[in-house]
Amino acid sequence: MKTLLIIAWRNIWRHPGRSGVLIAAIIVGLWAGVVTVGTMNGMLQQRVSYLIDSEVTHLQIHNPEFLTERLAADYIPDHDEITGWLSQDERVRSFSPRVMADGMLQSPVKTSGVRIRGIDVEQESATTTFHENMIEGEYLDAGVRNSVVMGKSLMDEHGLRIGNRIVLTFEDAQGELTSSAFNITGIFRSASTEYDDRNLLVRKSDLYGLIAETPVFHEIAVMLHNEDDATAVVDDLNEAFPEITARTWRQISPELSTLIGLGGYMLYIVTLIIMAALAFGILNTMLMALFERMREIGMLISIGMSRKGVFIMIMMESVLLTLTGTAGGFLLAWLSIGWLGRNGVNFEAFADGIAELGWDHIVYPVISTQEYVAILLVVMFVTLLASLYPAFKAIRINPLEAAKDT
Amino acid sequence: MAIVKTEKLSKIYNPDTVPVHALRDVTISFEEGEFTSVVGPSGSGKTTLLNMIGGLDKPTSGSVEIDGTTITGMSDRELIDFRLKHIGFVFQHYNLIPVFTALENVSFIMLLQKREKSEMENRAKSLLEQVGLSDRMDARPKQLSGGQQQRVAVARALASEPRFILADEPTANLDSTSAMNLLDIMEKMNREQNVTFIFSTHDQRVIDRARRVVYMVDGKIDRDEVQK
Repeated sequence: MKTLLIIAWRNIWRHPGRSGVLIAAIIVGLWAGVVTVGTMNGMLQQRVSYLIDSEVTHLQIHNPEFLTERLAADYIPDHDEITGWLSQDERVRSFSPRVMADGMLQSPVKTSGVRIRGIDVEQESATTTFHENMIEGEYLDAGVRNSVVMGKSLMDEHGLRIGNRIVLTFEDAQGELTSSAFNITGIFRSASTEYDDRNLLVRKSDLYGLIAETPVFHEIAVMLHNEDDATAVVDDLNEAFPEITARTWRQISPELSTLIGLGGYMLYIVTLIIMAALAFGILNTMLMALFERMREIGMLISIGMSRKGVFIMIMMESVLLTLTGTAGGFLLAWLSIGWLGRNGVNFEAFADGIAELGWDHIVYPVISTQEYVAILLVVMFVTLLASLYPAFKAIRINPLEAAKDT
Repeated sequence: MAIVKTEKLSKIYNPDTVPVHALRDVTISFEEGEFTSVVGPSGSGKTTLLNMIGGLDKPTSGSVEIDGTTITGMSDRELIDFRLKHIGFVFQHYNLIPVFTALENVSFIMLLQKREKSEMENRAKSLLEQVGLSDRMDARPKQLSGGQQQRVAVARALASEPRFILADEPTANLDSTSAMNLLDIMEKMNREQNVTFIFSTHDQRVIDRARRVVYMVDGKIDRDEVQK
């Protein structure tokens, strides 16, 4: 086997130009593929991380009725017991109870359907990074009664400014409509324009004071020290408090799980497309090499080399050729992703469009060792497939080729 | 004792379209230690006869026996194994592995025989010394002259310790000096080590040096002469 490996390796370099061109094509192809996949991974992971960190959190607790009806009356029963449980569990890093209401925003210009979140600024800031989205004003100024922060796009749509007042109308816990004026104290801009158009933040005490006589919460957002514990914590909560529903972020936003899964599929699709193109290069190179060496292979079979040995030799040549290119491609990709991972890929030219979709315009590519291994496996699979035809052709060579005059 | 025996050996190419009778009922035997040339004009069947004896091609009818073993009915895999163990080949175009050195080319066949590394190396070096290439062991075929390449091919053929060596037009691509030099080496091996050589040739220099000359015409043996 070692000798076959040596012959195969030396055979590759019989025509350094020809092999070099193919190796260069593999290097460039794989580099482009890995960086593309890494960039997509980065986009998806940033999107998922952003949503988890800024709002969704690792797990959430609701009254099960609230999940379908979203009525103010469907608040979390006995929330003190639950928050007490959360405070004592070592896996929990922080949590933030929220009061939720779907309602209507009225400005002098128009009305809009909005989702109102009542939060405790301290607890929310300890749990999520939403406060980082503030671009102007205060994150719910404690000195102003009925303070509200709004998304930039919604402000623009209504022609509002900080200091203006708006009226929010929503149902209370008794199912009666209630309205109150709120003072705009801050503006946020998240990664998603669509989110900014529909969401408002107010202080929890201001909101539950309008909904019920006692403090009520519709949602408790929980961040853990380790995201991997989410399922276990959810199971424990659901067992300890049968009247509530705790769900992991994957259950809350299945589309986020799908996004991550999509990244995995894209890896295979991109690699397969690139390798399918390169497969023709491998096939062509191996066939040219084979036609040039008909007499030599005939000689090898004449003097006693088994056809299996010839088959392995040809396959090894393809594999070594591809592995050389793959090593180069991976090295280049690893260096590129290392640099881009620190500095980011700037899609500033498309920033507005990307923001509409809720994506960051600076993407930090990322690719895992497992993904490198997966790409390598796809590359090897395609290479072996492309080499089968020349290898089978080689083992059908007649030993009489060795004696041919031309 | 006959090393090689053929019995009514016939070969017809394109039997269903335009039949070409390359061999017609050839019955011949070769003894151990012979230095024999099979000669004849192009198309006389000399190369076909050597291919049949070497197990490289299968006859239409008749049989080939080597050291008492009939090879005619052997499978492709059995033939490859048989050739590896019993037959040495020298080709007109040398057919060395271009990416190997002279030493590696000679060692390679012993590697196929799965011999010990040290034995392979010692034997390959010894054979290259015998063919006068002790100073060119690390040269690749491209760095050797035609005559030198053919001498490496002879050393390679001998490396597997075959019962006999089949040499198809071994001097056809060599100048006079190289051809005579090669013949000297082969003749010496035949004389001193009793190596059996069977050549196909129409090179008069080879014919003159052979002790037995088999003349072929139209796929048949025309004459079979022993020379002094």
